Amino acid sequence: MSLEKKDDFDHNAWLKERDLTLIETTFLTTLIYLDRRLRIVDYLEILETMYYRINLQMPKSHTEQYNLDNKFWYWYPLYSLGFFSILAYIIAAVSGALLGFYYSPSTEGDPSAAYNSIIAISQDLNFGAYLRSLHRWSAQFMTAAVFLHMVRVYFTGSYKEPRELNWILGIILISLTLVFGYTGYLLPWNQLAFWAAQIGVEMSLAVPIVGEWGAQLLFGGFTLGEATIVRMYILHVFILPFVVTALIALHVGIVWMQGIAEPH
Amino acid sequence: MSDNESDNSNANEIRTDGTGIVAPDDETPTWSERKARKTGLSRVTYEYFERARREDQDLRTESDYVERDVLGFPTWPHEVIRNLAIAMFFSGIILLVSAALPPHLGDAANPSQTPEIILPDWYLYWSFGLLHLDPVNPELAVLGGEKIMSDELYGVLANVVVVGIVAVVPFLNKGSARRPVEQPFWAAVGVAGVVFSLTIAALAIQNLIPMPLDLLLNLVFVLPLVSGFITYAALKTMREGYTYDLNRRYYRLRPPK
Repeated sequence: MSLEKKDDFDHNAWLKERDLTLIETTFLTTLIYLDRRLRIVDYLEILETMYYRINLQMPKSHTEQYNLDNKFWYWYPLYSLGFFSILAYIIAAVSGALLGFYYSPSTEGDPSAAYNSIIAISQDLNFGAYLRSLHRWSAQFMTAAVFLHMVRVYFTGSYKEPRELNWILGIILISLTLVFGYTGYLLPWNQLAFWAAQIGVEMSLAVPIVGEWGAQLLFGGFTLGEATIVRMYILHVFILPFVVTALIALHVGIVWMQGIAEPH
Repeated sequence: MSDNESDNSNANEIRTDGTGIVAPDDETPTWSERKARKTGLSRVTYEYFERARREDQDLRTESDYVERDVLGFPTWPHEVIRNLAIAMFFSGIILLVSAALPPHLGDAANPSQTPEIILPDWYLYWSFGLLHLDPVNPELAVLGGEKIMSDELYGVLANVVVVGIVAVVPFLNKGSARRPVEQPFWAAVGVAGVVFSLTIAALAIQNLIPMPLDLLLNLVFVLPLVSGFITYAALKTMREGYTYDLNRRYYRLRPPK
């Protein structure tokens, strides 16, 4: 593709040939200067689009256009899974932020401050039990929705050619969702949490060369304790939310740019 | 040129017919010209934008960039509005379910007492099941019957392999086929994968399944294969009818590349 200026589009020559007044020349020079940099012409197109939007001329979808509805209606619930997992993520984020006010990530005390704070949330706090229940269930729904979303994308071939990178990004996101779930699972510091953390430490110790370093980084040592729960807490409420939110924005942004791939 | 000269010569003459006091008629702007000057800036803007658009269009047509047949339809408004109803419904279900079924909080952590069943949350069963693959960790005759890697490392690597296989799918399966009927092989692979994720999860909870471990291990690998074959056979059988339908009502409108 050649980026050389064509004579046709030598705007300066066009200006001279037009024999304009001083005001017009100044105006046009400014306009061209700005348009070369800010692509004002594109905003005109946005205005056009808005015009058609306001007039409610909703273009037909691919499926409607080719009258494929009777073939594909059964896919549609599956197409909403991505959006639904974002909604579940938002519910989990809000309820989790509220839970964060009352939870204390510590193994001190009897049996542990973390466990006691969960009991306090469930029994003493107004709507605390519901809040915890909401957080947990929205996490479960989100994970399920993300799994099914991946299956839908696979069986409708939506991962194909221009969309490979978004598929990879989706795999990163589903893995991070699982890590989100795992770190959250450990926070109540009950028996299941403790032994799941034990499995995690053993898994990372099994990896040669980087295993011990990884165990220390993620679990704060080879035996579970205060450091483990604090690290899981920071991962769960600070690091993962930022990373996952940014990646979701990127994932959805790419979908937005490329359009939804319908089976055809 | 000649017109201008004649105009000049006319202008130098002393005229007695009353003209010449005001600007001559051919120099006086007509009303439409006055209008044009008044709206000049907007018109000039319009002309410039037309040129700019044409320039873009020319560059696009001249470029060797091949516009691929990307089939997609807009996220907004179609997809979001369509999804809104069902996604809001399920969000309501979340609120309802969390009111009806409060989560269980088990006993507090006790490092000195190993529970009978150690399990992660359900969505990690598949991964946990892959950690239980130690019976199939090969013992190499070259190493005198020793295992080439520890059972734990074998399980961790199995996880990496599974995720890696899922990641390379779009680089192996190309082409414009989208429906399962158009690509029975990949649909069969998908069904086998889904069934494997269930059977491997069953391996994770092997204590709870009343079945000898050997049989369970066999089923873990055989069931996905069987379901894959069944899917393949079914789709191949369905294919002819579907293709007929496609030709009749769809490919005529949009021939496949």
